[in-house]
Amino acid sequence: MPTRIHPLLIAFTVVVYLFLLGPLIIIFGASLSDTTYLTFPPQGLSLRWFENIWEISAFRRTIVTSLQMAFLGTLIALIIGIPAAYALNRHRVSLPAWLSTLFVLPILVPEMVIGFSLLRSVTVQMGVPVWYALLIGHTLLVIPYVIRVVSASLASFDFSVEEAAISLGSHPAKTFFTIVLPNIRSGVIAAFILSFITSINDVSVSLFLTGPGISTLPIQLLAHMEQFFDPTIASVSVVLMMLTIVVMIIVERTLGLAVVAK
Amino acid sequence: MKRLAGWMLATPATLAIALLLVIPVAGTIGMTFGTPGQGDWGIVQPYADFFASNFRRRVLWRTFEVAGYVTVISLAAGLVTAYVVARCPAWTKSVLVVLAVFPLLTGVIVRSFAWLVLLGREGMVNQFLIWTGLIDGPLTMLYTPGAVIVAMVYIFVPLMVLVLVGVLENIPEDLLQASSSLGAGPVASFFQVTLPLAVPGLIVGAVLVFTASFTSYATPALLGGTRQMMMGTFLHQSAMVRFDWPGAAVVAAIMLAVILATVLVMTRLAKRLNPMAT
Amino acid sequence: MPRLKTLTLSSLSTLALLAAAPASATTFTISWWGFNGDKLQEIIVNPFQEMCGCEVVFETGNNGDRLNRLQMRSGAGVDVIYLTDSYSQTGIEQGLFQPIDPAQIPNISELYEMAQAPQGEYGPAYTVGRIGLVYDSARVNPPITSWNDLWREDLAGMIALPNITTTTGPMVVLKAGDHAGVSAYEDQDATFASLAELVPNVVTNYNTGSEMINLFSTGEIAVSMTQDFTLNPLRAAVPTVEWAALEDGEIAVLNTINIPTGSENVELAHQFINFVLSAEIQQQLAEQGVDAPVNTNVTLTDEQAASWTYGEEAIGRLQRIDYSQLNPARNEWLDLWNETFGM
Repeated sequence: MPTRIHPLLIAFTVVVYLFLLGPLIIIFGASLSDTTYLTFPPQGLSLRWFENIWEISAFRRTIVTSLQMAFLGTLIALIIGIPAAYALNRHRVSLPAWLSTLFVLPILVPEMVIGFSLLRSVTVQMGVPVWYALLIGHTLLVIPYVIRVVSASLASFDFSVEEAAISLGSHPAKTFFTIVLPNIRSGVIAAFILSFITSINDVSVSLFLTGPGISTLPIQLLAHMEQFFDPTIASVSVVLMMLTIVVMIIVERTLGLAVVAK
Repeated sequence: MKRLAGWMLATPATLAIALLLVIPVAGTIGMTFGTPGQGDWGIVQPYADFFASNFRRRVLWRTFEVAGYVTVISLAAGLVTAYVVARCPAWTKSVLVVLAVFPLLTGVIVRSFAWLVLLGREGMVNQFLIWTGLIDGPLTMLYTPGAVIVAMVYIFVPLMVLVLVGVLENIPEDLLQASSSLGAGPVASFFQVTLPLAVPGLIVGAVLVFTASFTSYATPALLGGTRQMMMGTFLHQSAMVRFDWPGAAVVAAIMLAVILATVLVMTRLAKRLNPMAT
Repeated sequence: MPRLKTLTLSSLSTLALLAAAPASATTFTISWWGFNGDKLQEIIVNPFQEMCGCEVVFETGNNGDRLNRLQMRSGAGVDVIYLTDSYSQTGIEQGLFQPIDPAQIPNISELYEMAQAPQGEYGPAYTVGRIGLVYDSARVNPPITSWNDLWREDLAGMIALPNITTTTGPMVVLKAGDHAGVSAYEDQDATFASLAELVPNVVTNYNTGSEMINLFSTGEIAVSMTQDFTLNPLRAAVPTVEWAALEDGEIAVLNTINIPTGSENVELAHQFINFVLSAEIQQQLAEQGVDAPVNTNVTLTDEQAASWTYGEEAIGRLQRIDYSQLNPARNEWLDLWNETFGM
């Protein structure tokens, strides 16, 4: 019960929450300002800076590219990651111990190092076109999340159900799709969402891999900030925040908020 | 057949990471080594050159400093907040955790940008300080290590809260009840029961925040500027602006080494300090 | 697993649609700074797209960024590249450009002589500018009249200098040498000692012109060193900004357009260069505050000419830089600069 906690600690916590959420409210306010410069509280209310996002072709293009990378990257990661997670759980004995460490490498190795290394090897040495190199980078980034989250889901799955189905004559592959997958559904969805958000927000890898005409939203935001320090940056931020809220609502509806705490 | 099945399922992911991560990164590390016999240090000459440069040593040290401050402050703020949140009733706790995690999902640029606006000479912090009469004219707060630290703390406290709420929740309630029934007040219980049990989790949180802030790019780039270079921004400048790829590779390799060392040491430490480990 | 299937199918089809969308005719890729993007779009890009029936795409960034990327791609990936003369000199030395065919660019004959072939058989200059000092007259008193004023004590914490990695960065070093009464090429120690004296006055060093303008508009700085093309947008953001009347003279800068060796649309590239050098386009660019004209058939009123380097006489008064000396020195100065400002 909160009454057992010293009021000073509660006060401190309130301050921390104000600290965490305050700036976001300020950005929200600044995005609505009818001025050409950033100011809070907003002077005059207007949605023009939201309209401006759509008018700038660079933003339109990079939003599309970011969505492409997030969707495709996550999809590919799911396609190769779910079997890997399954193998780690089901066939643990026949796989070396270092494999799970290998799968976690993209999180362990600093993103800046990954981005630079991919630029050297994939873009320059192998001559892979920008769009594909970017996709490779984003897929790599999210593989560990897919494998970890799906693994966690599989860990609480009772494999005896699967074995029973197989012993009754069901083909192993079909059993996977009809028995295992539906039961780890929440894990797959969580993995999808986590990966999607990671990819959309990525800076360090995209920084090295973007090229003429092909860039992602965060990188474009950085470029825009350099050129124009106007409320468009605030409105793009608000759009990203809205996207996050939508995602969280989806999570809440399908899995319950408790999943976030895990 | 069973043995092969495991490998077949794991192969695509293994290949993807081996070919697209391990080999490129190994290549980067490989290019950091010079030729034997060149200079006084032979194949590690490029590293010797790095450490011989005053500027580069300063960049490395500054990165350690900033990451260190950020980790300690986030740990403290996160621990207190997590302690309070973990003690709230279930529904309040869920809401509070969601509120704490929400900023985490909005991306580093949005959150660094917020401080770019707040800490400017015409920003709200200056306006507030002038209004309270604490200062006469605006202070320059941007492009200082302090600005980078504040913004990074802002970015990592949610992560710390998320990790620590989980850690504190896992501490069995009956241990604390036992402690209080033996006469220990809340403070004593905290320091003698809760904290020691939370240490492994604290270490995990600290490692996450330290490694992320050590390798950060966007926040130092936006709030530190060119006079406050850190390893991340220096790597970018070396690779993409100066086109000094051998130099950039050395920076990358050192960054990787620091991270790996931190993770290894801290994982060992966490295992040793875990009173509940079998 | 219907849910997963629908998700996969819908994503794949959406992406197929997205990918199929812009596959139009030829793509013409321009590499430039991105500064004044909206005006360039209006004055140059839209009319050119109509003329050629092609789609124009950009690579943006500062000189170093874009030249490095061009080198990474071994000269391929863009059709024309805008660079300042010191960087196009480097590009030429690196073998990244192809000689232009003056026969395909008749408008070259209308240019000032110094702009026609500034770097031999390679691209022409499309604008000439000067590098000088700008200051916010509302915050700086007395006004700045000399390069030496940068070292004034009352300017503590008010200056942003161009970073050594920019075009104008190395010129800061040259001026620091002048301040110490030595040649920066010959006496590095004295030069950098002089530069170190500047440190308390400098808040940060900027990487792009637009960054500098932001620093002024948010009040972070009140003095900077920059090229005159930033003056109009700077004044629009901060009306009290003045271009310093320097008694010790300003530095000349020529911006060039070149065709990389890997250009896929060489003929179109020549057409483009001819287009942007035409009196019409140069007139519009000058009147709209984008670039100073080098086409002799452009006439500006005194008011319009005020913020530009305009006229043979004005150009003659500027200090020229010998890039064959500066470029190699720049690499040496990089680390010394970082040790001065970045510690």
